[in-house]
Amino acid sequence: MESTVSVSKGVFVFKNGLQPNKQKGRGRKKKIPTGTGNIYRDEMWFQTYTELWEVLESKIKELNSDMFSSILSNLLNFIDGSYCKPVTEIPAGALLTGINMPDHAVQFETLKSSINEKISPHVAHLSSQDCPSLKNLVENMINQFINEDIDYDLDEENVKSTKVKIKKSQCSFTLLQSWYEDLYNNKVDNVLVVILPDFESFKENVLQDFIQIASYYVNKLPFVLVFGIATSLSALHKALPYHVSSKINIQVFNSQPSITYLNKIIENVLFSNDCPFYLGGKLFALFTDIFLFYDFSVTGFIQNFKFAMLEHFSTGNAKALCITHGFSEVLKNFSKEDFENVRMLHSFRRFVEAESPKNQIELLTDDKYFQKAIKKELNKLIYYMNNLVVLLECLNILTADLPKAPLGKTFREIYCVAVSKKLSETVEFKEAFQLLSFQSKDELLTKIDSVLNLLKNNIEIYTEENIVDDLKTFIEELNNLSNDQVEEVQEDLDCLNIEGTMQRAQLKQKLFQQAKSQNKPMNAYEKFRSKVVEYFEHIFEEYLKVPTDFTFHEIFFYNDISIQNHIIGSHRAAIHTALNDPQSYLDCSCCGISNDAVILSSMPDICIAYKLHLEYGKMINLYDWLQAFLSILDPVHADDDNEKREVDPQLQARFTQSVAEMEFLGFVKSSKRKTDHVSRLTWGG
Amino acid sequence: MKMLEGLIERFPGRETQIEMLHNLLGDDAAADAIFVHGGPSVGKTSIVKAFLEEKKFKHAVANLIECYSTKILLETILNELTSHRIDPTDPQPVAKCDNLMDFLNNLSNFQLKRAVIVLDKAEQLRNMDFNLLPSFLRLRELSGIPSISVILISEIAFQKFNIKGNVVDPVKLPFPQYSKEEIIAILAMDFDGCSKLLQEHYDDALEVDVNFYLNYLNVFLSTFYRACRDLCELRYMARINFVKYCEPIHRKDCSAADSMALWRHIAPTLKSSLEVLYLRFSGQSGALGAQALELPFYAKYLLIAAYLASYNPAKDDKRLFMKHHGKKTKTMKDVKAKSKVSEQLSTQLGPKPFSFDRLLAIFYAILDDKVGFNNNLLVQVSSLVELQLLTSLSDNYNLDGQKYKCTVNFEFIQTISKMVGFNIRKYLSDFSHI
Repeated sequence: MESTVSVSKGVFVFKNGLQPNKQKGRGRKKKIPTGTGNIYRDEMWFQTYTELWEVLESKIKELNSDMFSSILSNLLNFIDGSYCKPVTEIPAGALLTGINMPDHAVQFETLKSSINEKISPHVAHLSSQDCPSLKNLVENMINQFINEDIDYDLDEENVKSTKVKIKKSQCSFTLLQSWYEDLYNNKVDNVLVVILPDFESFKENVLQDFIQIASYYVNKLPFVLVFGIATSLSALHKALPYHVSSKINIQVFNSQPSITYLNKIIENVLFSNDCPFYLGGKLFALFTDIFLFYDFSVTGFIQNFKFAMLEHFSTGNAKALCITHGFSEVLKNFSKEDFENVRMLHSFRRFVEAESPKNQIELLTDDKYFQKAIKKELNKLIYYMNNLVVLLECLNILTADLPKAPLGKTFREIYCVAVSKKLSETVEFKEAFQLLSFQSKDELLTKIDSVLNLLKNNIEIYTEENIVDDLKTFIEELNNLSNDQVEEVQEDLDCLNIEGTMQRAQLKQKLFQQAKSQNKPMNAYEKFRSKVVEYFEHIFEEYLKVPTDFTFHEIFFYNDISIQNHIIGSHRAAIHTALNDPQSYLDCSCCGISNDAVILSSMPDICIAYKLHLEYGKMINLYDWLQAFLSILDPVHADDDNEKREVDPQLQARFTQSVAEMEFLGFVKSSKRKTDHVSRLTWGG
Repeated sequence: MKMLEGLIERFPGRETQIEMLHNLLGDDAAADAIFVHGGPSVGKTSIVKAFLEEKKFKHAVANLIECYSTKILLETILNELTSHRIDPTDPQPVAKCDNLMDFLNNLSNFQLKRAVIVLDKAEQLRNMDFNLLPSFLRLRELSGIPSISVILISEIAFQKFNIKGNVVDPVKLPFPQYSKEEIIAILAMDFDGCSKLLQEHYDDALEVDVNFYLNYLNVFLSTFYRACRDLCELRYMARINFVKYCEPIHRKDCSAADSMALWRHIAPTLKSSLEVLYLRFSGQSGALGAQALELPFYAKYLLIAAYLASYNPAKDDKRLFMKHHGKKTKTMKDVKAKSKVSEQLSTQLGPKPFSFDRLLAIFYAILDDKVGFNNNLLVQVSSLVELQLLTSLSDNYNLDGQKYKCTVNFEFIQTISKMVGFNIRKYLSDFSHI
């Protein structure tokens, strides 16, 4: 290794041309633009993945802009109309965004560019990191107003020669005022929009001062403020005392809660017919749990989904078949190994075993025959998946508003159950249908109606029964049932005849029996209702199968929960494993241990020190610790009974270093309470 | 005197102040320094400005909030005194002033005759360079210009400036609060604005006269005068409510003369708008407080844990959060604690700091299901700090032993607890013994 010329101590990186391991790096790579040497570029699965991801990404973008468009146009109208009348207060828009700020960065960018396009070229976008003091805020804002404006001239070369960029330190309100007067000949024209996307992170006094200054100039400089508020409006009152808040006029804009946003993404993008990739129940539940319990971040959810997709596709070319149509095209290009890759799928084994011996041989040896079989099975799966999504949506319509919603209120909850086990066998499903058979006529009618509408829009449903026609007849029948028929209750209850005297217990028993056996006769509507409910039950039972029943389901469904470790970082557990069982990371042959308590001398020093410290209580005597340390590294001398034996200076240095490292990692802390002791800072493992 | 009459007419109720100003800064007198003080929106700045403009004195008005550094302040004053306009392409001040000495030098260079410097929001001087206030008070002496005056405008009294050392006391000019009659007179000047507003809402169909408006103001002030004396706020509220006040007339429910009926209509509206005084929301207003807050499930529990850590003494943790904490012997102290008056309740005393470890320990104690200790959870704590629901008390670079405080109030946390079905009173030592 070459030496360095530096005099200082430090860690130097020598690039010795080490290439990252191909196998290990798989899947974790982000998509690299073609041409920069992506080793997977030519693989079939990668191409399929890229195509699919591009489709999804563009759909997500479209949905984003759709969702933001209404609030955006409201905001734009507000900004546009803010100076139509003479104002005494600064107009301010408060945009309630929800707590996940990174998710909204794009929205604020869109807002800025659309204000630029439609209303005014003067927009300043200030983030709290850039504005720790009033001076920074003012300079930043004015710099953005004055200097960025230059960029709007067409030729940048000319700009530099004609207009001098103004130094930040020269930016002041007086400058802004004369600049604005020059630009618009002393008239109030285009508004000056100031966007503060993270209102809560700004220092209160900075904001207060800024608003007071701006209100000083209210008739000369037409400011419009836009606050992005993550929590609630009360944050605004907390930050601004009344002598400041009385200087602004706030208009509130509510954006949709992030849960609605997620549901829309799930229903319209991830479970659309264009996306053949499906998450298994466990993974899907994991991702939604991360969303609901931890961060409310839709971007995070999409990234997790993307990661799962990458992991899924990267297992081989068999996954290149994860497309909605055109299997033959892909199969044509399959090589021998690719077919083998498909044969390796677990569900294939079950499929083969069910075939006749002759077919078995053909399936295993003849690629042409196998190809046909694949196509047939995949088409079955595609039918199944399309039906699954549509029927689950129907089921959701039917059961979402039932009391206590046994099957959940949203599509994602039903989906989670439906892909993990057979839905019609679950208790919740039965409960839901029991509740369904208590529905009133109007409720049932609207539900059937909306199911019918949904099915009409999804013509691609493949069932033997014609559900649409059946539902139509149901609705007709239901409408024909006149109200009197519904009301009509047959009054032929046989009277309770109490013969003679009897014991109280006897009477009770008799009444009980009578109540039990008494089947209330159904009226026409009730009869009809049970028929409808039975029909639905039958349909769902028939078509809502578990994906694992199908051959090659692995091509479309990904359910490897082990990626959890990549999704949720758990640093403490990782450090514990590393120190407790170094073999798991070092992959060396010397440190294999049968149980956690074993300590080997071949382990790194810090591991030994760590494992020893786990055995102590709150305070650790350094001398005892050193002795234990020595007894592992130098077992020969440890047996010597003389108490004050000489400690090998090298071993002592190694011990001292590992204790220092432990302290650095935050496991121990030197204690002032007891000499020669350190206190332990972590518990459990 | 004619000019003064014009001013007095423009600013009702400020006769004495305007005459005082005239006496102090009139044609034959020039006070050294004048200290104008009075509450918010009593007309200090506007009267001083109008007066100086009427007199056609050369003057410079500097808002001290805007002039956050000495350099900007001094250069702004010089620019205004010499009527120097900053050129946007080459923003140079008329003269560079880095300190007061430069300023005085430049001031004498310009050979000014009659000049007045107005420092608005003068209370900011307390946080600026220590020599600014004493020098401005003796500016005439220091600059050697015989006819220069300084006017300081502030909302606080001069005694509160806490100046050390010998300072010349300026002439004080108090601006007292307006009386009810004066407020009505001032608000009546807004009649044009209001009738315009009315036209916008009801398309010219409504004709109202000044007397009608005065009647309205009487009704309006009977509700608002007790709660608010701020003229700006009153004017804002008067405008908003005037439209609603005229609504029954527009609907032809009653005539403009029927003031009793109008009063019956407007009374509830006034009362409800009294509640949103100073809040300044127009258009739809979202739900306030905890109800509107969207937080992930664990973040809610973390916030609850933070609240408990902040408002419970650490010694009670064992009793509150552990199942087998042993018996607690009753002491005299506990008996006294039960008879705590509400001022001594820790929920009333404000939050105490707590360590990060304690927060996590309480979080795990109050949460029923087992939660993995992972990074997503830890990130929640910093995002709660970001949202200002918690405040971090230690420096960012201090990784060891971070301390936090919970900033939400009891009502807020009760709503949050209700949302996750958690009984917070059970775990607060203030309430747990009840």
